[in-house]
Amino acid sequence: MFTLTPLEIEALYLSLLVSGWAVAGSLPLGILCAWVLARLNFPGKALFDGIIHLPLVLPPVVVGYFLLVMLGRRGPVGGWLHDWFGITIAFTWKGAAIASAVIAFPLMVRAIRLSLEGVDRGLEQAARTLGCSPLRTFFTVTLPLVAPGVLTGAILGFARSLSEFGATITFVSNIPGETRTLPIALYALTQVPGGDEAALRLCIISVVVAFAALLASEFLSRRVQARLQG
Amino acid sequence: MLELSLARSQGAFLVNVNLTAGQGITALFGPSGSGKTSVINMVAGLARPDAGRITVDGKVLFDAKAGIDLPPEARRLGYVFQEGRLFPHLSVRSNLSFGMNRTPSPERRVKLDDVVEVLGIGHLLDRRPAKLSGGEKQRVAIGRALLASPRILLMDEPLAALDAARKAEILPFIAGLSKRFAIPILYVSHAMDEVLRLADTLVLMDQGRAAAVGSVEDLLARPDLRPLTGRYEAGAVIRATVAGHDPSYGVTRLTFSGGTLLVAKCDLPAGAAVRVRIHARDIAIATEAPTRTSIRNMLPARVISVEQGDNHLVDVMLDCGGTPLWSQITALGQAQLNLTPGMNVKALIKAVTITGSHIAAPP
Amino acid sequence: MIKRILGAVAGLAFGLSAMAAHADEVTVFAAASLTNALNEIGESFTAKTGHTVKPSYAASSALAKQVEQGSPANVFASADLKWMDYLTDKKLINPDTRFNLLGNTLVLVAPLDSKLDKVELGPKVDVAALAAEGRIATGNPDSVPVGLYFKQAMERAGQWGKVGPKVAAADSVRAALAFVERGEVPLGVVYATDAAVSKKVKVVGTFPDTMHDPIVYPFALVAGKETPAAKAFLETIRSPAAKGVFAKYGFKVN
Repeated sequence: MFTLTPLEIEALYLSLLVSGWAVAGSLPLGILCAWVLARLNFPGKALFDGIIHLPLVLPPVVVGYFLLVMLGRRGPVGGWLHDWFGITIAFTWKGAAIASAVIAFPLMVRAIRLSLEGVDRGLEQAARTLGCSPLRTFFTVTLPLVAPGVLTGAILGFARSLSEFGATITFVSNIPGETRTLPIALYALTQVPGGDEAALRLCIISVVVAFAALLASEFLSRRVQARLQG
Repeated sequence: MLELSLARSQGAFLVNVNLTAGQGITALFGPSGSGKTSVINMVAGLARPDAGRITVDGKVLFDAKAGIDLPPEARRLGYVFQEGRLFPHLSVRSNLSFGMNRTPSPERRVKLDDVVEVLGIGHLLDRRPAKLSGGEKQRVAIGRALLASPRILLMDEPLAALDAARKAEILPFIAGLSKRFAIPILYVSHAMDEVLRLADTLVLMDQGRAAAVGSVEDLLARPDLRPLTGRYEAGAVIRATVAGHDPSYGVTRLTFSGGTLLVAKCDLPAGAAVRVRIHARDIAIATEAPTRTSIRNMLPARVISVEQGDNHLVDVMLDCGGTPLWSQITALGQAQLNLTPGMNVKALIKAVTITGSHIAAPP
Repeated sequence: MIKRILGAVAGLAFGLSAMAAHADEVTVFAAASLTNALNEIGESFTAKTGHTVKPSYAASSALAKQVEQGSPANVFASADLKWMDYLTDKKLINPDTRFNLLGNTLVLVAPLDSKLDKVELGPKVDVAALAAEGRIATGNPDSVPVGLYFKQAMERAGQWGKVGPKVAAADSVRAALAFVERGEVPLGVVYATDAAVSKKVKVVGTFPDTMHDPIVYPFALVAGKETPAAKAFLETIRSPAAKGVFAKYGFKVN
């Protein structure tokens, strides 16, 4: 049977941990940004849209470098976090999660925005006439109707996070037990003579995980759709 | 009681309405684009007037001068939309209680069981909106709005999307709602048959203005309002009482100020006060009562006015014992009879033309 | 149409190479720590002979992997014997051209604004404690020579259990140096020659040579790629002038 070495288990665990937190942590903000883009009009909206999509079009290494400059020990934000709260992000799985979250963010926002734009505004009006404030309307009517889009966005984000490499290695490099996710462990093995067999095994694990994520997303999507249509 | 004076410009179109709506059903009637939906949306808070004031039961919902504009959720109104707009992700029961849950406990005057019973939707409670027919959806929509214990119920052409059979199913429910739950209703429609069946007060809308306000019978009898009340459907509405039925011949006898009217058998009990719609094209005029004819109704009447219409038709207004009646005859007929105001004639009405759908017990 | 363009380009390239027939290219795969010294030597080599030098600097382990996969290197220079032996065993190195040239020292560096100052390093000195809650940057201790030397030193001193988890593994010694320069880590372990080249770090201590195997830099020609230009380059490396350059940068020269 295919049993996993400690290194493989660690890489798998880190990948799931980092990707899970990346999506969970950025989903609320993603929904908010999608809502702003779908429903509001304001000067500078195009700029806002552009900034959100930057990680999608920039090389991931550039994104990673930017994170390093801002959130590293000596960076404006990272230094402040360290000096005031004792929080260090460099070389930790939290940093890896942040890198993945930033890279995956535009994908999430796109999917959620698309879904939001398809929501019948008339239903929201109906809720308002029944006594729901705009905020309550969002949580009781809009959000449930957007659930399929949010799910899609989350899964897209998760999948992209699982495969994240460039930003992660630039920002938090390769720390065993902290940031050595599946792609990074694989890369490290390709740099070492004699690491090919282990690299191949990691490759297979990555494919299996990706498939599992896809199947899970299909299943969940169907469930949510069925619930919506009764 | 609803009091409103509104003004709002929408592109080239100006909506300017002043009206007061009391208990019972107030119908806003007019062709598409006359501004009816705009008015109701402004009352609901879904659209903003440029100027004016809206109060319900003395509570100010909107006042342009004072800068008051309550959001829809603060107005305590109920709105039944043309498309129903039921929440697809909730069951019928959850849809129904949606508004109720947002109403503070002490203000909940309408009970779930009552509404379910009156609207006949008990067997639908656990279904999802996607599995309901059009008529069922509208009934749930009405129930949902009622259960919010609104100060006033707004209905925007709620039956427009239904076929005749579904309409006939729901009209009776709506007719009884206002009294049953003691909630005034503002009802928007472009269908005269709905208005006749439901309205206590009629507001005729024309190009953004309220052209006339009054009871259905009064407004329909006014010649100057003919263009607004609809040419093809032209006719009169009279108040009558059911005198009795003759089951062996399938007829019902109605008495009104102009005499006795024989109509096709209807189901209303003797003694019931009714409104009867008589189409102008169903009334013929004779200068002397014909003999050996199948026509059962030959009512003495006096000619009030004779007007040329389009298509070589002539509109004749008759006074039948104090009740105004409209008759539409051909120009040829007029040429033969040479009717003039003041002439005494007979109004001939075939009993079969007045069926159950023309008779309604007003709310 | 495409074929014609390709044909023209090929003809042009051939013509150009025919013109430069006597100017060859030497591809040099060298350990990262040799960057500055070899660049300088390479430039004077080109000036003298007209041959161009195409250097590729990375961790010796990564380079060995690339040579193994058939990269077009002519010369291979490793920072330890292990990777040279690895390639020699695989018959990828011409053993007759192999020679040991340079040595180096392991030092402990810190960012310029660090509070740490001169520390006497030895087997008994608690390196992990020096790093406090931060990490120690060095090359990957599983493959990169500088990391291997450091791990060996710590293992022999019985400290690897405490130090190992604190290591921030970098792809090469220069990458580790960059971590320290940026203040990402409070300490780094690099070669003395690397510390000398950097203006943003200071040397906090030097590891005694006895703590680890001698740091040896072997040079050799890759089997099957021993072009005249490559041979000439290797000769130049051993010349007194080149040795002087190496010494200038702080390498120990044989």
